Amino acid sequence: MASDDDLPTIKVLLIGPSGAGKSALLTRYCDDEFDPESSAATIGIDFKIKRLVVRGKAYRLTLFDTAGQERFRTLSTSFYRGAHGVILVYDISSRASFLTMERWFDEAEANTAEGVALYLVGSKLDKAETGREVSSEEGQALAEAHGARFCEASAKTRANVRDVFVNVVDQVVQTPGLLSGRTRRAPGTVAVGSDEGGYGSGCSC
Amino acid sequence: MESLSDTLWDVVICGTGLQQSLLALSLSRSGKNILHIDPNEYYGGPDAAFSLQEAEAWVDRLADPSTANRGFRSASVTRPEGSTGLSFPRAYSIALSPQLIHSRSKLLSQLVSSRAYRQVEFLAVGSFFVFNPAPGPDQKPSLARIPSTREDIGFDTTIPLKGKRSLMKFLKFVQDYQSEASTEIWKPYADSPLTDFLQKHFKIDAQLQTYIIALTLSLDGKITTQDGLAILFRHLTSMGLFGLGFAAVYPKWGGISEIAQVACRAGAVGGAVYMLGTGIKTHESMGDELQLHLSNGETVKAKKLVRSSDSVGEPGISRLVAIVGSTLNGQFEALVEGAPQPAVSVIAFPSGSLHTSAGKVSEYPVHMTAHSSDTGECPVGQSILYLTTVATANSKELLKNALDAFLEAMDEDPRPQTLFELYYEQTKGAGESTKDGAIFNLPGPSLSPCFDDAVLDPVQEAWKEVLGEVDTEYMTFTDREGVTDEDEMYD
Ligand SMILES: Nc1nc2c(ncn2[C@@H]2O[C@H](COP(=O)(O)OP(=O)(O)OP(=O)(O)O)[C@@H](O)[C@H]2O)c(=O)[nH]1
Ligand SMILES: [Mg+2]
Repeated sequence: MASDDDLPTIKVLLIGPSGAGKSALLTRYCDDEFDPESSAATIGIDFKIKRLVVRGKAYRLTLFDTAGQERFRTLSTSFYRGAHGVILVYDISSRASFLTMERWFDEAEANTAEGVALYLVGSKLDKAETGREVSSEEGQALAEAHGARFCEASAKTRANVRDVFVNVVDQVVQTPGLLSGRTRRAPGTVAVGSDEGGYGSGCSC
Repeated sequence: MESLSDTLWDVVICGTGLQQSLLALSLSRSGKNILHIDPNEYYGGPDAAFSLQEAEAWVDRLADPSTANRGFRSASVTRPEGSTGLSFPRAYSIALSPQLIHSRSKLLSQLVSSRAYRQVEFLAVGSFFVFNPAPGPDQKPSLARIPSTREDIGFDTTIPLKGKRSLMKFLKFVQDYQSEASTEIWKPYADSPLTDFLQKHFKIDAQLQTYIIALTLSLDGKITTQDGLAILFRHLTSMGLFGLGFAAVYPKWGGISEIAQVACRAGAVGGAVYMLGTGIKTHESMGDELQLHLSNGETVKAKKLVRSSDSVGEPGISRLVAIVGSTLNGQFEALVEGAPQPAVSVIAFPSGSLHTSAGKVSEYPVHMTAHSSDTGECPVGQSILYLTTVATANSKELLKNALDAFLEAMDEDPRPQTLFELYYEQTKGAGESTKDGAIFNLPGPSLSPCFDDAVLDPVQEAWKEVLGEVDTEYMTFTDREGVTDEDEMYD
């Protein structure tokens, strides 16, 4: 069996305040499920891996879902290393969640390399009629100020969910140097593991 | 989720230095309820890596007795006047306790077997140099590269033939030092200084002795024959293990700090709850449980607590970190063709090679590691120098002098500028782990410039302490798989 390890890996992080809907977006995208009753805040980090083919080429997409709650914060400088894309999520029905986005942008920008695909997502679009507290224009303007792309989406209705991930992946694979520069061993780094010609044994498959 | 205080935690780990973080990694598949906290707002504890801004904030906190950090003291930052070229603060990652890791280190094999190594980039540590003071008033100090393989010695043009022969003989001896025949030879010298053994048994002269002592990176330069042989053996057998021409590696972006962060992340993926900026104020035993009163006002219950011992406060080492505006050409050359470009080199200033302005000669060696921008610790065009020596009344001045002498020896015109300096002293931690009921105290970090495998043993002890009787193999995991879906096609 050809190992997934051989595929170029795209690392994408989901960040943003607690309750913004990060986990819901991810579950909708990966499992096509949505639980309106879910009240479980993410603790620590979850991650999902998806194999996908973009423009005829296969990739391993690793999606890291992080805790938004301050007391469960597990982000560290090293967490951002090697990230190709960051999806920043806020809730369009919560002004408070939108107001924290500057801080999330700051953190993402400070810790990632230039050229990383940033994507701002206003989630819970299904609440647009009844409970919108952040206009689409405001979201757009914030994204533009940070050179990020923007869209509004709903994990509940599926609206734009797939587009968010597809666009991020597409931007990553289209940005020259972003992927090739990180998936191959950086110059000067050395292999200490088995599948890299070092010691140890075994294949995880 | 239940609130923190409703949960009975299987273990609360306090501190995110390397040892505690490795414990979190080792327990990350155990299914145990783990709360991992750190009184600091950053990961890594004594092994942390800082941006310039964070370094300055850390220095300020150390100066304030109410927030003073155990284990560190006398910290100060200087930005030499007139220097220009410092980049933005985040462009730097200053390692508080930079350590080389020998290729044979158990730390690396544990990172591999636990699959955590995949998130760390390792760089090669290249040449070891010995500093030679200026021979005369109008002359410059210089650096001599230490030949560390037999081929190397053969090609060396500075060592006289007789010296080469005895050195070769010694290296051959080291490679076989554990055999019965060899042990018989060194045993009588086991606890006396390695230099005695070199002198008496191998007739190695004083100059070559400094080379060998430099390779041991012995903090006080007074290493015993037994310890010295073990370290040299590790060095020689590490050579070439992961590639040509290097015996040790250094994790990119801040050394051990990076490993601590990756290990904590494995803990988080495994479901551990992380809280920074939260320490333990007081604790009490309630039957089988511990009640821990946290600094954020919450009280949590735990079956076990693992933390680090209080530092014993003994003077330990002095450290000077300097960012210089030069790529330090010549420091990072690959030793053999086909070898990876080293990002780190080591420079030893032997005992007696430096002196204070009052003419006092250095009693202990100074060790310096030079890091190129490939380490990600500084921007391209600059380098970071980390100097260490035993803390004494003069150590600060001696470190400064070592730095100056090194820059002088670089023989660059203009002389490389120092852009930023951070000085601090680090005290010794307790030497051994201790157990006090449900509380397990890890010993303090090792102050050696080289990672010491001995710090790994107490982590495994703590792991056993938390899990009780287990039949799982320590630190051996398969790759975690998220849900791998069928292929998705986007065109
Ligand atoms: N109506 C509606 N509710 C949503 C949507 N997405 C998420 N929610 C609800 O919002 C709440 C929070 O969603 P999560 O996905 O858990 O939020 P999170 O960003 O992962 O939060 P943390 O894990 O704490 O950082 C849940 O109750 C979800 O059911 C959406 O698109 N529409
Ligand atoms: Mg979540």
